[in-house]
Amino acid sequence: MQKYTLGIDVGSVSTNLVLLDEKKHLIKKLYLKTAGNPIETIKKGLGILHEELGDVDIFAVGTTGSGRQLASILVGADIVKNEITTHAAAALSYYPNTQTILEIGGQDSKIIVIRNKTVVDFAMNTVCAAGTGSFLDRQAQRLGIPINKFGEIALKSHNPTRIAGRCAVFAESDMIHKQQMGHSIEDILKGLCEALVRNYFSNVAKGKEIRPLILFQGGVAANTGIKKAFEEQLEQSVTIPENYDVMGAIGAAILAFNHIVSRQKATRFLGMDIAAQNYKVKSFECKGCPNNCEIIQLFSDNKLKARWGDRCGKWSSTIAV
Amino acid sequence: MKIGIPRALFYYQFYPFWKIFFESLGHNVILSSPTNKEILKKGIELCVDDACLPIKIFHGHVADLMGKVDTIYIPRIVSIEPKEYICPKFLGLPDMIRNSIPDLPCIMDTELNLYRGKSKIFDYVFKLGKDLNVNKNRVLVAYYKALKTQKQFEYQLTRELRIPQDILNETRQIQKDQVLEKKPSHIKVLLLGHNYNIYDDFISMGLIRKLRKQNIAFITSEMVVKKNILEGTKKLSKDMFWTLGKKTIGTAHYFLDRKKIDGIIHVASFGCGPDSLVGELIEKKIKRDYTIPFLSLNLDEHAGETGFNTRLEAFLDVLEGRGYIEDNFSTYG
Repeated sequence: MQKYTLGIDVGSVSTNLVLLDEKKHLIKKLYLKTAGNPIETIKKGLGILHEELGDVDIFAVGTTGSGRQLASILVGADIVKNEITTHAAAALSYYPNTQTILEIGGQDSKIIVIRNKTVVDFAMNTVCAAGTGSFLDRQAQRLGIPINKFGEIALKSHNPTRIAGRCAVFAESDMIHKQQMGHSIEDILKGLCEALVRNYFSNVAKGKEIRPLILFQGGVAANTGIKKAFEEQLEQSVTIPENYDVMGAIGAAILAFNHIVSRQKATRFLGMDIAAQNYKVKSFECKGCPNNCEIIQLFSDNKLKARWGDRCGKWSSTIAV
Repeated sequence: MKIGIPRALFYYQFYPFWKIFFESLGHNVILSSPTNKEILKKGIELCVDDACLPIKIFHGHVADLMGKVDTIYIPRIVSIEPKEYICPKFLGLPDMIRNSIPDLPCIMDTELNLYRGKSKIFDYVFKLGKDLNVNKNRVLVAYYKALKTQKQFEYQLTRELRIPQDILNETRQIQKDQVLEKKPSHIKVLLLGHNYNIYDDFISMGLIRKLRKQNIAFITSEMVVKKNILEGTKKLSKDMFWTLGKKTIGTAHYFLDRKKIDGIIHVASFGCGPDSLVGELIEKKIKRDYTIPFLSLNLDEHAGETGFNTRLEAFLDVLEGRGYIEDNFSTYG
């Protein structure tokens, strides 16, 4: 029977699930909106996989993204890995000579510097999430444009207007002013793409040596306007991998696969029927000490499954499972 | 008299001195609780909005001491090294506190200013003695006793390479320090940042705890003797007059030259002027002359640790230089 490896990337905006076969080829990918509810979204994703493929033999599971711990508890993951490592792993499996990865997701933007198939440096946006996917989403919404048309419209511009890119709040008010002055929508959108890329280089990629091959990954890579702005700024071509939107999940799956193969262990996957179970989350504030930790409890069909959020281990070490 | 000392800012550097000094003059020293959510909340409420996180937290610690003590000791620290200055926020700290927190008990705001020379320390201790109504002889006895403890503390930091929390008995279980010379682990990190940020488990989101858990050896600028820090600062094109920034840069240069470290983590508070400059200077230096990874962690009021953990875990992955093709990475993290 065919064995599959599952990779789950729970991000701020999207939750992505992928299935790889034994040759680590992509069999199935799902790109779902997290919509503020990661647990339901993971369940929904597993449900869709189950429906489409029937009972499949899961060989290994890896989770990544900002919701990776939660996802790992929910599905029983073999590895839980940060986004930088998984993005690099996926990129290298498709393009072994990658030297730079530009990645823009919902709330994070990062640059990963690779030399000789090894990550040697990376940077992520600091406290501010200006110029990431959720900001573009919001602006598209405000202008009444579907987000998937954003890039296409921006590319029509011949005379992009300059938008302040340092801060999302500044960018928005600048955009409104430009729009009230009569600039066309495509010029404003192209201007926004350029502002975002400018912000990326001055904030995230500052001082990093960008060498080809340059990959552009993450949800924002769908935006052709941003790709164009990157290429203009870098004066180099930028490659968008076929599965740019689920690279994190692919990387998590690859790392999980390798892990299980090398350790010769059975997967900790809890089974596809997770999707059918009823999960509830309840949280409370522990009053045991002045830290007042916020404890989160995960119940499956009213049975306590996991608890986390405490600093001292008083609650998380007494899990009922 | 019960003298309250906030467990923040210079607590991590001078507490042994202050404790012994006050105790030898017959007073009780009461510390505020370790930083917790309540302290953070109160600090943010009370403090002016523009201040950096450590200053806000300090306000919270002062609030925590209220009602428990007769007086709170908030020295006006102007300078702790000749010809150098401390951040202006320390200089105005007693005034900030008085203006922001209502119904305060008496505040002891003795000025410590060594700008014109180390001997000015006596002006400071005699002033302290005067505030506490004791004669100069008793002050001197207390001073030398406190100085001895302080020296011992510094010896433990720089020679035994221990960290302030462990010496000041803060951690519940004192772990064997995994520091460079003692127990070499395969990765050595230079941990830079203000002592009141990196040693405060709450502010730093348990950074030291997390490094220890991953068996990463680390060294901080508190563990470096002054001579070596000064040697490091010689590389600067111009003398720096910020004591804390100088300490950070000097340590970085000293270790960069000796190639003893695998990576540098710089912890900065959002809104700290010197931090932003110092971080940038070190990063530029590394980019120009070295190839070791540098991670800058910015701290503010965030309580969600996810973003922090992602950066730290990815950085540790980079340090281990794992070829991603092979399966030689850690399962978690």
